Amino acid sequence: MKDLSLYILDIAMNSVRAGAKNISILLNEENNVLTLRIEDDGCGMTEEQVEKLSNPFFTTRKTRKVGLGVPFLRMLSEMTGGKVTVTSRPEADFENHGTEVVATFHTDHIDFIPLGDVVETVVTLIQGNPDSDYVFRHKTDKLDVNMDTGEMRAILGDEVPLNAYEVLSFIKEFLRGQYENEN
Amino acid sequence: MINLDILAQKMELRHICGSTDREICGCYAGDLLSWVMSHAEYGHIWITIMSNINVVAVASLCDVACVVLAEGVELDPDALEAATKQDICVFSSKLSTYELCTLVSKYINE
Repeated sequence: MKDLSLYILDIAMNSVRAGAKNISILLNEENNVLTLRIEDDGCGMTEEQVEKLSNPFFTTRKTRKVGLGVPFLRMLSEMTGGKVTVTSRPEADFENHGTEVVATFHTDHIDFIPLGDVVETVVTLIQGNPDSDYVFRHKTDKLDVNMDTGEMRAILGDEVPLNAYEVLSFIKEFLRGQYENEN
Repeated sequence: MINLDILAQKMELRHICGSTDREICGCYAGDLLSWVMSHAEYGHIWITIMSNINVVAVASLCDVACVVLAEGVELDPDALEAATKQDICVFSSKLSTYELCTLVSKYINE
């Protein structure tokens, strides 16, 4: 995976597997630092589980013994001089349960891998998991791209799923349009 | 096919940990771990300059025969611990990735 956007997809899939109803993907670029923030209201993790996250030999997966989503993100971030912090509130103890993954990247570092096609990532995520709602924001000094599927759902009603072809095409054009306009 | 133990001796690799009783049927060289994950195969000798614990995880996942750390790179302490625990075979060498590849190519079908 040569683009950061694919790693974002990988992390967001953890939110889906955690049963999240709301997933936010927030990108903020300021003074050569890219901050990626992925928030969800899924089942969350205990402190012990969060501590073990950076160890690839810890995974909730049953199919194989290795989990590399967070370890890879941490590696990519640290290679640029950034860091990853994960905070989580488990379902058993918190009413507002969920997880936040925050990763920073120094975009002027030679080992920073490009963000890639983040629109494709968002659309792929929605396509595979249309029952959750998604907030996406990408803010730099040149652009401020926003999307909230909650707003779309309010207009579409309950009948039309988010992964209907027309809806996905709309989302793609909607996002691409915002990137083009503000560049 | 060549036995890992014999190949390692011919290439003068320094053994760090893990069992060397494996057959080598190919080689993969690369450092972008997610990429290696989808390209390295069972029985390959994997040459890399990466040395963190994720290397051990990828080696385990792909079931490569061993990892060879090029250019005198040392395993991180937690990576060494994981490799020992998972019985992942790791070698190190002062040679570059390219030089190591040429040696594999020379000896693998002998």
